Amino acid sequence: MPNPLATGHLHLNFPSHPPPSTHGSLALFRPSSFPLGVIGIASCSETDSLSGILAEFNGLLGSLFPKESLYPLARNCFVFESDDGNTNLNLGDSLPGLVVIPSMMGNKKIYIGTLLADLCSQILGEFATVVNRLESPLGNEYLNSSLFPLLPPMSDLPEALDNIDDSKRASLPSYNSNPELSAANGPLKRPGGLTLKRNSTMGPGSTPATPGFRSASLGVQQPAKKRHSGIGAASSHGRLFKTLGDFFLLAGRIEDASVWYNEAIVLFKASSDPIWYASALEGLATITVLEAWSAGHGLHTSFSNGKEPWTDISEKLAQAVSLYSKPSISEIESNAPLVAYLYVCAVLRHTNLLFAVWSAKGWGPLAFTTMLQPGSTYYLPPTLSHPDSTSEVNLERLTSITNISRHQISAVLSQAHGPLLLHLGARERLAALEVVAGMYACIGYKRKEAYVLREVLGCVMDLIVCAREETHESRSSRPMSGPSGLGFKTLNLGNAMQAPDQGTVAVRANESKEGNESVLRVVKHVCKVHGINLDAVKLVNIHTDAEGNVRDSIHSSTSQEETLEVEPEAHGWPELQIGIVREAIAVAEALPGYQDYPAVAQFALSALKTLYPVLAASDQHHLYMTGTQALATARRRGDRRRVEYWSGQPILSIELVPPPLARLPLEKPLSVLDKRLSESAAILPGVTDPFLYNPRKSLTGKTLFTVASNEAVEVAVTIRNPFVFDLELQKLELSTSGVPFQGKAIPVTVPANSFHPVTLSGKPLEAGTLIIRGCVVQAPGGAPREFVLPLSTDEEEERQSRRRSAIECEVGRTKYSGLMSFPWVRPSTRASGSASGATAAKRSIPRFLECRVIPEQPLLRIRRISVTHGAVMLYNGETSTIRLTLENVSPISVDFVRLTFEDSTMAPAQQALADGELSVFDTYETEYDLLHRPVFSWSNQKQEQAITPGMKSVFTITCFGKVGCSSGMIHVAYASLNKPRDSLATPQQVFYTRQLSYPLLVTVYHMLECHAMDISHYLGEELSGREAVHASGDARKIQPLLSIEDEVGWCLFSVDVRNTYGLPFEVTFDREQEGAPPESVTTLVPPGSTTRVIIPLKKFLLTAEQTSQPIPTLSDRQFVIDKAKLSDEEQRIQRELFWYREEVFKCVRGRWREAGGTRSGELSLRKQRMTLPMLQAVRIETARVQMSLMRSSGALDTDSGILSRRGRTYLAEANEFLYLRTRITNLSSKPERYRSLAITAESRTDTPLTLTLDLASDPAEHIIYEGILTAIPVGHLEPEEAREVDLAVCFVCGGSFNITSTVRTLGALGDSGKVGFADLTAIVKCET
Amino acid sequence: MSHHLFLLSPTDTPLYSLTHYSSKPTQSTPSPLASNLPSWSTSAFAGTLTALSGASSATQAHHAQGGAVRLGGGQDRHVIQMIANASLDVIEEVMRRDSAMYLKSVDKFNEWTVSAFVTPGNFKFILLHESKNDDGIRSFFNEVWELYVKTLLNPFHTMHTPIRSPVFDSRVRASAKKYL
Repeated sequence: MPNPLATGHLHLNFPSHPPPSTHGSLALFRPSSFPLGVIGIASCSETDSLSGILAEFNGLLGSLFPKESLYPLARNCFVFESDDGNTNLNLGDSLPGLVVIPSMMGNKKIYIGTLLADLCSQILGEFATVVNRLESPLGNEYLNSSLFPLLPPMSDLPEALDNIDDSKRASLPSYNSNPELSAANGPLKRPGGLTLKRNSTMGPGSTPATPGFRSASLGVQQPAKKRHSGIGAASSHGRLFKTLGDFFLLAGRIEDASVWYNEAIVLFKASSDPIWYASALEGLATITVLEAWSAGHGLHTSFSNGKEPWTDISEKLAQAVSLYSKPSISEIESNAPLVAYLYVCAVLRHTNLLFAVWSAKGWGPLAFTTMLQPGSTYYLPPTLSHPDSTSEVNLERLTSITNISRHQISAVLSQAHGPLLLHLGARERLAALEVVAGMYACIGYKRKEAYVLREVLGCVMDLIVCAREETHESRSSRPMSGPSGLGFKTLNLGNAMQAPDQGTVAVRANESKEGNESVLRVVKHVCKVHGINLDAVKLVNIHTDAEGNVRDSIHSSTSQEETLEVEPEAHGWPELQIGIVREAIAVAEALPGYQDYPAVAQFALSALKTLYPVLAASDQHHLYMTGTQALATARRRGDRRRVEYWSGQPILSIELVPPPLARLPLEKPLSVLDKRLSESAAILPGVTDPFLYNPRKSLTGKTLFTVASNEAVEVAVTIRNPFVFDLELQKLELSTSGVPFQGKAIPVTVPANSFHPVTLSGKPLEAGTLIIRGCVVQAPGGAPREFVLPLSTDEEEERQSRRRSAIECEVGRTKYSGLMSFPWVRPSTRASGSASGATAAKRSIPRFLECRVIPEQPLLRIRRISVTHGAVMLYNGETSTIRLTLENVSPISVDFVRLTFEDSTMAPAQQALADGELSVFDTYETEYDLLHRPVFSWSNQKQEQAITPGMKSVFTITCFGKVGCSSGMIHVAYASLNKPRDSLATPQQVFYTRQLSYPLLVTVYHMLECHAMDISHYLGEELSGREAVHASGDARKIQPLLSIEDEVGWCLFSVDVRNTYGLPFEVTFDREQEGAPPESVTTLVPPGSTTRVIIPLKKFLLTAEQTSQPIPTLSDRQFVIDKAKLSDEEQRIQRELFWYREEVFKCVRGRWREAGGTRSGELSLRKQRMTLPMLQAVRIETARVQMSLMRSSGALDTDSGILSRRGRTYLAEANEFLYLRTRITNLSSKPERYRSLAITAESRTDTPLTLTLDLASDPAEHIIYEGILTAIPVGHLEPEEAREVDLAVCFVCGGSFNITSTVRTLGALGDSGKVGFADLTAIVKCET
Repeated sequence: MSHHLFLLSPTDTPLYSLTHYSSKPTQSTPSPLASNLPSWSTSAFAGTLTALSGASSATQAHHAQGGAVRLGGGQDRHVIQMIANASLDVIEEVMRRDSAMYLKSVDKFNEWTVSAFVTPGNFKFILLHESKNDDGIRSFFNEVWELYVKTLLNPFHTMHTPIRSPVFDSRVRASAKKYL
């Protein structure tokens, strides 16, 4: 026995669970996997009795270990006295297997150490006993009876054999007490002692299949060497030696163990016992490690002599593995699970060796520590336990140091994987897989790790499901046995996953949910390795989503958008991903306890989110259904967790819907109210800008969207659904900042695979600026999430296009491959590269949709309008009125109302004006039409209209029938100007109006038509005409003519009026002229007929100033360039015509009246053109020329000699001498009316005229005259002065003579000098 | 005996896959440990586990025929893909050190041997096979590479689109028939 306080190492392993009962048959094959001693720990108070405690301890042991089991070899129970000190357990010492530790005792540590040493020595002693029994021939036969023999209970072995073995028995303790002796003597003792080389065949219990096999290979019998001729002593001692080696190894006697192992191997090589042979090799390998450890524990230098020292061990283990892998069929038949178990253990042992050396940077103390580390969790050397230990660089470094490549480790490790795993019991399999997975994780083989982890999950879930089925059958729980039944300590799988085995234990126990987290973490890890981020949709706690969540999500949503953008290519293996996701969901669904529904939903939705491009339609449907059902269930069960919104960025666009026109506030500068622009400004709306090109215009074009506060704003949102199912959104709401906004959340169902427009409405509550950031979206059972949508400004567009082109440039080039290419791995490395770009993006603050909210505005509505069906029917030129009733339906009074109108004739006219192709004259006509003859007009424009809330107000609109008008529009602009102001701040320079519009259908009947206007000289009474009038009986027609005294100063205005309508109309023309009494002519124009209306008109003369003015433009357009290149003369005539026409229209006005009806209106002459003869007729001549024929007999100075005449027709006789008297009067006397350009400059105005007279006769040849006919000098004529020129004439034949006289100014050429004209007709009779 | 070929893009996405059954008999002798597998449980998870350990068809076959059946016929397509995917770990490590394009038998998993061919563009051809056929596989890979390069010459073919060309498919099949 070693000294209790001697220095040395004692490796104690404290397993947490007893070995599984199925491993009972390994008791002799592998003692190391069984607990050799059991320490009970009890606390004892005064009420307990020591015997009771002992009984309980023994009972417990009995339940943990089967009765016939060899182990534990030693047992002891430490009873700790409780603190109160009242116990009196003095008799404790007397009970064996029970040690009482009094509470008073100090330095318990040393005492317990002593007790442990005591226990260990007991165990060592028991080893001797066991070996004793095995050494007997019977024991040896038992040992060789089957592949995994069991030592029968003590009672079955004959007592005698035990005694016979005494000598041998004595030898064992001697080894124990004298280690150095055994080291020296071991080989020497062999011949005398246990060196019976016996390769036996026939064991009593051997299986029928074995004998042939063994005898065939090793038939040599060596009875001579037999020491004892006992029963079944025919067996080889190989197994015995190997067992001895095991026990020596356990006892720490390395040299002895090595001796016996070598002995055994020699025997096994000869015989065929591969399993035991392999086991011995494993033992030898262990010994080598231990030796190295004990030799090099102190020194920190690693071995560096040529061949790596571990290769030897590795070879041994490889041999062992290959031996294990080729058991005979017979051995497998009965013991397949155990053989497989041993095989896996050997593989893992081999891997562990390589791994330890590799991870410890070579064969050295650290490697030994790794391999010998006590404790229940696996020891990771510091080389692998730091955070970035799995980086390729680190792993490669380890490889280059140790010359062990990772695929070497992997190749060894993968031997453990295969169909043989199914031979293992569930727990061994689980443990083995965990170790394999952990190994793969440590060497950085993440995909392989994921592969194995899937199997681990399969194991765990299988057990859970089976256990659930069992508990359904019988409520009794199975005996607890953990996965550490395997001799290997489970690996701690690095930082990626924390001890999933603990979770599995808890899961196995009962339906508690502790451990679910670990399982889910494993699932997520597996998925992540395959490129599925199951955490893509996060679970949020329900508490946090009230306020903070919405704020927090802003960043995530924008970054989300970015990643979606950057994701053009697929990662990973789609088929695998789908399969794994399905499995992950199945796992989450099958988890015990509460069937983790939020996790199910999370997985399903995350998969949808990340994988939808590769998912088939049915898969998408399935995932969606699973997700939504799980969420519903979770909510029903009161789960406090929710998933965040998952379906990517759903908002594509946000647009403000313009409010109906009646509600749209229009901004007007306040200055509009102060000063009305000239009336003409309104002719060309929209062209008010005097500049053809205004650079400021484009800037002001982009105005803010304006809404009134407390009124609904509508926003059109376009939502995208990329999935094949109808996406249901529980809530869709605007997310705004700025002024308070009262929005309404609505549920939406977005059809599959489509873009869906939704209209959201809300109410801004205050005036200010409303910023619409985006939308808050909430899926059923999910947490709400805000998605912001910045305005696509130019720089934003540019940035995006730059991004897009950058991405397009990168497509097809891969910088990161494999696991590095996954999006959650990559951005961290990429961020540094694009840091400058990111900061640039930061600098431009995203702009959002903005909307100006103005104070509350009044609202009017049209209560009533006097036209039915919105249609107006008018005769051309008729005027009627429309009464419009407006009602104020808002609580704000309206104090400003303005009516504007629009009709269908305006637009073409304005267009024609804007085109500028019209002549000056047409332009004037068009403008006149627009300005002075509008279809609609509102008379009392200046009147202040106030409509208090709830009140009505009536507006009267005048309506004028204008041919060609088919529709019209009444616009009512109104505002509240004099609102009480909130503050003393300077009022805004703008105000807002709203507009009401009322469309009208206008029908104008065209019934009377004027044409062929004419103005002719009045030639006095024409008898024939008068007679004709008398004949027609319509004396009224010529009535006006009768009142004319001086036929010379008058002309006749005539116009044809045609009635194209079906009713008769009474047409009246009025004349109102200065210096003449008003006159009017009325005629009835029957349907379909034309009547000529004649009215005398006094000639007039317009001053030169007046007629020389250009034709005015009524609008304020500038730069009106006269396009027609007219000569001065033409222009003069044109202007003259224009001004005289205007004057004529001022004098003569037409009216019509429905015959027998009440409707009346005006008749426009505006369409009529004025011609030059008409002008000459209407204008007062410069020089009036009157001609008369006189008899020569009478006195020349009287009129008595004037021939009888009718009008200007004189009746003369042939061959009678007559005087032709021409009286010329200068009418240019009135200076203000003498402005005709017809007179040349020197003879203008009131300067006297120097005139000549030309006379002409037709026919000229039958007239005789005295003197000259042309250029008869008239001489100077002062204004108002008249002179008569007489010419003696004689008609020499009968007939009609036409004599004309023309007065010219002297010196003027051509027509320009003509200032007066007269003619005379003479009818000459011949005396038969 | 079957072969499984996968063409993987640098982001591990398969662009083309082929399963080839050759007429040659299986040479490998199954490990005795892999026979007579018990069936533990009927739950779906146990099915996954069985399949992943490469034993699914074995157990079924065992029940059907009994005796020594063709083992490890883990012909489950999903498992084959899993193995091919998992072998990328080894390939990535080996290609780091070994500049050769043809990586002979880089990995062994269950009963499968994995050979790989890494193109200069970091595309990986992975072949799962059961028996040794070094020269054949080398020639096969070279031919597939040539065919692949020809496909890449198509200006409308981008790096990440799966190869659906029937010409490519038929030629690869012909090559597989020739060499495997």
